Amino acid sequence: MAELKSGNALSLAAGVIAVGLLGWWGISQERESAAPHTAHGRIPVYYWHMWSAEWKPVMENVVTEFNASQTKYEVIPLQVPYGNADSKFLLSVAGGDPPDVMAQWTQAISTWSQGGILQPLETRMTPTEKNYFDNETYPVIHNNGWYKGHLYGMVMGVDVYACYYRADDFKQAGVDPDPAKFPSTLEGLTALGKKLDRTDASGNLTRVGFLPAGLTQFAPAFGGGFYDQSTRDVALDTPQNLKALTYIVDEHNRLGMDRLLRYNASLKPQNGADWPFIDGSMSISLDGEWRVQQLAKFAPNLKYHVAPLPAPAGGKPMASFSVTNFLTIPAGAKHSEGAWEFIKFWAGMDNPARAAKYNTAFGWLPSSPRMAGSPVYQAYLKKYPEYKTFVDLAASKNIVTTPPVPYQMFLMDRISAADDLAERGSVTPGMALKGLTKDVTRERSQRKELGYDE
Amino acid sequence: MKKNWIGYAFISPWIIGFLLFTAFPFLSSVYLSFTRYNIITPAVWVGGANYHTLLTGDPLFWKSLGVTFRFAAIAVPLGIVAGVALALLLNLNLRGMGIYRTIFFLPSIVPTVATSVVFLWLFNPEIGLVNRLLKLVGVTGPPWLGSASWALPTLVLMSLWGVGGSMVIYLAGLKDIPSYLYEAAIIDGATPWQRLRHVTLPMLSPVIFFNLVMGLIGIFQYFTEAYIMTQGGPEDSTHFYALYLFERAWRYLDMGYASAMAWVLFLVIMAITGVMFWTQRRWVHYEG
Repeated sequence: MAELKSGNALSLAAGVIAVGLLGWWGISQERESAAPHTAHGRIPVYYWHMWSAEWKPVMENVVTEFNASQTKYEVIPLQVPYGNADSKFLLSVAGGDPPDVMAQWTQAISTWSQGGILQPLETRMTPTEKNYFDNETYPVIHNNGWYKGHLYGMVMGVDVYACYYRADDFKQAGVDPDPAKFPSTLEGLTALGKKLDRTDASGNLTRVGFLPAGLTQFAPAFGGGFYDQSTRDVALDTPQNLKALTYIVDEHNRLGMDRLLRYNASLKPQNGADWPFIDGSMSISLDGEWRVQQLAKFAPNLKYHVAPLPAPAGGKPMASFSVTNFLTIPAGAKHSEGAWEFIKFWAGMDNPARAAKYNTAFGWLPSSPRMAGSPVYQAYLKKYPEYKTFVDLAASKNIVTTPPVPYQMFLMDRISAADDLAERGSVTPGMALKGLTKDVTRERSQRKELGYDE
Repeated sequence: MKKNWIGYAFISPWIIGFLLFTAFPFLSSVYLSFTRYNIITPAVWVGGANYHTLLTGDPLFWKSLGVTFRFAAIAVPLGIVAGVALALLLNLNLRGMGIYRTIFFLPSIVPTVATSVVFLWLFNPEIGLVNRLLKLVGVTGPPWLGSASWALPTLVLMSLWGVGGSMVIYLAGLKDIPSYLYEAAIIDGATPWQRLRHVTLPMLSPVIFFNLVMGLIGIFQYFTEAYIMTQGGPEDSTHFYALYLFERAWRYLDMGYASAMAWVLFLVIMAITGVMFWTQRRWVHYEG
């Protein structure tokens, strides 16, 4: 093979670089020219979300209906994998090319708002929209997504928790499964759960009547929580939280830590058709509203009812922790007006009755009594009567939410870690809550030292 | 000289890529470790505050460092012993040895995520294969990943699954040992154990040293398995350093702090590697 002459080699190298640069320039030009309008001549609104599998077409139907209602904007959805959605999103904002609308499942609105990642939404509302939002939406819809007086995330779906129970298990134990006769106190429910426990010949648990787990889930019924609205500060080591955690730990001790560990490990995953409640591994389960649709789909013949978690003595009735998902407009969104139009449309701010169709398709709670009273939502409740308990919970004032503090991800991780320590019996509930307070105080002083805004 | 420039022109895409995507972030992270930075708003200089907090006010930093050290102290030596033993077995002159070598190497090319998910099931205390097998011989298996005292040893056991990667290197090292050394040893009346102790291991020591250094560097960046299988639990018993660093960066948006953690990790790895290089003069034998 003939040796490549140096002049030719230089020309070749220069050629390769030139072609590369040309290609890069071409692509950027194409993106520039493609940006202003879609194929339908409308302004594109890029929307990232994480709904996959059975939920993807449900979500895409909302987009299709919005696009059909529009002459100005066209929403272009893109499904991003849930596992790395946050990092992709954050990098897109940092890179100056974020989507116009981002669905948000992480309870980090305050953290991100403080970081300048999201745009406020309430400033975009017309007086009519603001009136509807402030005066008509349920507290759990209205009070989530705020940070320092600004609304950064519009709540779309809210998960609240109530007791699902198997009617046949109740009957076998000689208990009337009529919802009107469901225990009215947590103490009564605990005693009933004990009656429903089953073990095999070796003493292993084969069915648990009622297994309380998770401080976040039980603190609200004890009147606890993690944030004091009056002082606008976190409240962790409170008598109410201590009572809640002690109750959970006592129940774990009663069932036996090791026995419980093995029982939990034997359970199927919590998803869809595998939910252990369906196969009878538990008689009463504190779970979210989305299970109603799942039960209709995966266990249509299962006889069950739903009742709110009863309050313990001195506790609060109709209480629950809530987890929400949001629609947000990132900082640097190029078509934020179109993004807001889409959010309003989906949230039903102009027409709650229309949006009821989307909430029912997702199995979500109504955002307002007006939506709940709409013919579509009423038809949904007729089809799924057990769902009514969750609608009643939505209107409750005893719903606890993730504290709106900028270190909320750290806070929730540490609450979970303290809960884990206590539930496993490694420390007492009191020590767990003291340790939690210490961790959070340390983190806050560290943030202060670094100059973060509280 | 002109010829060199032609060479540089040809490798310029790589050089540019290296400078932009490796050298620049690497050096930037030094600066970022002295700042408060959330990747969106400009970094704010905070001096040594991140390092000060790390070393004096963050128990999870020390805990995660301790977990990582404990894991390294068990997993690395165990991996070396298993890798060398496997290589010695697969160096025998038996029929179908190529197939055996392939079988033992295969696990190391399975994606870590897939391996982690499979092992989650294998180590399930009630319905997992491991405890089912133990039950057959009358042993009640432990709760594995569900227990704070067993979770870390479980991950160590699992790390042996990928030992095929280093095994191939040991095997290549074994093939390089001159046969005349064994012949001489046999003539001198050396037993198989003496041949292993005084010929094989010393001659293999450069390869062992290489795998030791690479293994330590890899272990200090141990992340995927913990992220998928335990998320740091139970009770922070598998809260590895890299996992905590990731949480600080991407969950708590504290990139400055995470950068400081990354540099501390870099220094720890450098120090340990330095110690290894210092000790190797005593136990690594280079032919000739």
